[in-house]
Amino acid sequence: MNEEKKISIVLAGQGNTGKSTIFNYLTGLHQHIANWPGTTIEKREGTLFYNGYMVDVLDLPGIYSLTTFSEEEAISREHIINQRPDFVVNIVDSTNLERNLIFTLQLLELECPVILVLNMIDLAKKKGLIIDAQKLQNILNIPVIPAIALQGSGLTDIIDKAIELKGTRPDYNTPIYGKEIENRISQISESIKDIDLPYPKRWVAIKLLEKDNEITKIVSQKKPEVLEQVMQLCRELEEIHGHDSSIVIADERCHVAAQITREVTKIGSRKQTTSSDRLDAVTTNKFTGYLIMIIILGGMFLTVFKFGNWLSAQLDMLFKDWQTSWYEFAGDSSLSSLLWSAIESILALVQIALPYIFPFYILLYILEDWGYIARISFLMDSLMHKMGIHGKACIPFILGFGCNVPGCLSCRIMESKRERFITAVLVTLIPCSAVSVIIFGLVGKYVGILWAFGLYLLALIIIFITGKISSKLLIGEPVELIMPMPDYKTPHFKTIILQTWFSLKEFIFIAAPLVIISGVVIQAINLAGWMPYIASFLSPITVQWLGLPSITGILLIFGVLRKELILVMLAAFMGTANFADILSAQQMITLSVVSMFYIPCVATISVLWKEFGWKKALAICILEILFAILLGGIVNRLLDIVF
Amino acid sequence: MNNNDKKEEMRLTDMKEGQSGIIFEIDGGRTATKRVADLGLTPGTEIKVVRKTLFSGPVQIEANGSKLVLGKGLASKIMVTPK
Repeated sequence: MNEEKKISIVLAGQGNTGKSTIFNYLTGLHQHIANWPGTTIEKREGTLFYNGYMVDVLDLPGIYSLTTFSEEEAISREHIINQRPDFVVNIVDSTNLERNLIFTLQLLELECPVILVLNMIDLAKKKGLIIDAQKLQNILNIPVIPAIALQGSGLTDIIDKAIELKGTRPDYNTPIYGKEIENRISQISESIKDIDLPYPKRWVAIKLLEKDNEITKIVSQKKPEVLEQVMQLCRELEEIHGHDSSIVIADERCHVAAQITREVTKIGSRKQTTSSDRLDAVTTNKFTGYLIMIIILGGMFLTVFKFGNWLSAQLDMLFKDWQTSWYEFAGDSSLSSLLWSAIESILALVQIALPYIFPFYILLYILEDWGYIARISFLMDSLMHKMGIHGKACIPFILGFGCNVPGCLSCRIMESKRERFITAVLVTLIPCSAVSVIIFGLVGKYVGILWAFGLYLLALIIIFITGKISSKLLIGEPVELIMPMPDYKTPHFKTIILQTWFSLKEFIFIAAPLVIISGVVIQAINLAGWMPYIASFLSPITVQWLGLPSITGILLIFGVLRKELILVMLAAFMGTANFADILSAQQMITLSVVSMFYIPCVATISVLWKEFGWKKALAICILEILFAILLGGIVNRLLDIVF
Repeated sequence: MNNNDKKEEMRLTDMKEGQSGIIFEIDGGRTATKRVADLGLTPGTEIKVVRKTLFSGPVQIEANGSKLVLGKGLASKIMVTPK
């Protein structure tokens, strides 16, 4: 492709500004999700072909500033500086113009070509805010495009503008701050004039006044004497303003943002309380809020499990015929049996993805798009905080009840590595739909439904304690919840479907390789006739310590593939599905407890491996195996007293 | 005499739902202060507590025309002169 017909743009902006909606609209199905190198932060790229142009679109993480406090911020800053995209499209939430402009000012300081998109301009109007886009354009000296992403309105204007401006060199109009600050910026700029830096000099000067660690380090390597001057200037600023120079600069940006906002905004008629406000009042209330949350989440789980069990049964019947046809077609040899176990692994993935994960994602994204997930995060924050994580972890937790795989994947929304890791470990302890099959199919059915709920309670207690312990053990400060509270809005169908599709695709791609390989390996061990040896090798643990039949050793190995296989294989080996004939109530409870915790299933291990490296994944597996054995034995002995 | 007009500053977490005030200072390290400032919450900004949760959790606030949720630790560092 002709270089001149290629344009690269990055989308930058704070969270909840409609950035993802715009990205999805522009790139549709032509997108590619990966991680930023060396991180677990999602990197979303896509391509758009428009009027003969090939437009590469990159969606930067949603961030509030261009400091380096979080990985997301550091990545975004580095990308804009080093990759020099043709345009930085700054998506702004028009209903929160002032707060969003603070970020815009930081982009302008970087002297990169910015196109400002005033998204949700309709919602601003509803709120009674009339923003003069032309005036804003004149003040900032950058293109300003009003848009309503949900309706697709204004979005092609962004690309039109990019094509129009491509190749022209804009004169950057960096924001001008107060005299006493400008004076010191120019003094520093003068001193660093002769150092070779990949950044704009004015920006470096500002960052030095802000005491930015990274920039300070770089400058100290090239011309250490400047730092003395900087320190002196910072002290002067601190004397004038009475607080730290980094705050003086941040404060100055706020003032400029506030001033611009006042200049371009006309307050029109506004309803005193909108319906969103009223809904917010009920759904975040100390009492009704929790009640509504329980109803909504309970309804969500019930719907998913009802739908899932129904569809799963349908698929079961469908695939049963496939197995018979396969053996008729391929013959009854070891090879065909191995091949079938590979096919079966894929079918099993489909059987989890379609009935459970698919509806879970759809409902989750509806709740998120509507604005409800932010309310759950708000309500759950204090509880989550006791486990060393914060309210946003409710998303991985909710997903984890359906399947641990998307649960662990969604840990990416947590800000720091530490939070991501703790959340993922806790998610692996959540009873997923497969574990629920065991709990209800064994304990719920034969011992009593209260015992089944007791096991859930046990899981929650263990998750809580593990969270407490791991937040103490893992070094690092807990990150505080900072989250914009979005207004409630009608969910956008296309966004939800696209998000669901990409998440499902990712689930299959990450889980499939390891699931297929381990499925074949375990079948090979089975065919080689080694299973009985393994069972007897494990019997000191399974029989003597846990008080279970020795076949349990084999079941637990199959269970690594998918936990519900523990029940399926038990029925297959014993030739009966009436488990009361084979196991005592005590054994059922012990087996369920061990099944719940003994290891994440192989698909979950794949995610842990990919996100945190094999060492941490292995450590989690070993710890959980040891823990489950210990816990199972204790439960078994305690139950001696009860039964 | 209007002695009553002069009120003591208090922590954001100690304010009641619906109460508003002016940010007086940020009682925390540079990182926390900077983080809060990047959200537009600097001394002199008017801030309103919209809602709090049970068990003294996070605080939902309104400032500069936008709504934010702040974790308890961060919110408790914001000192406010109530109106």
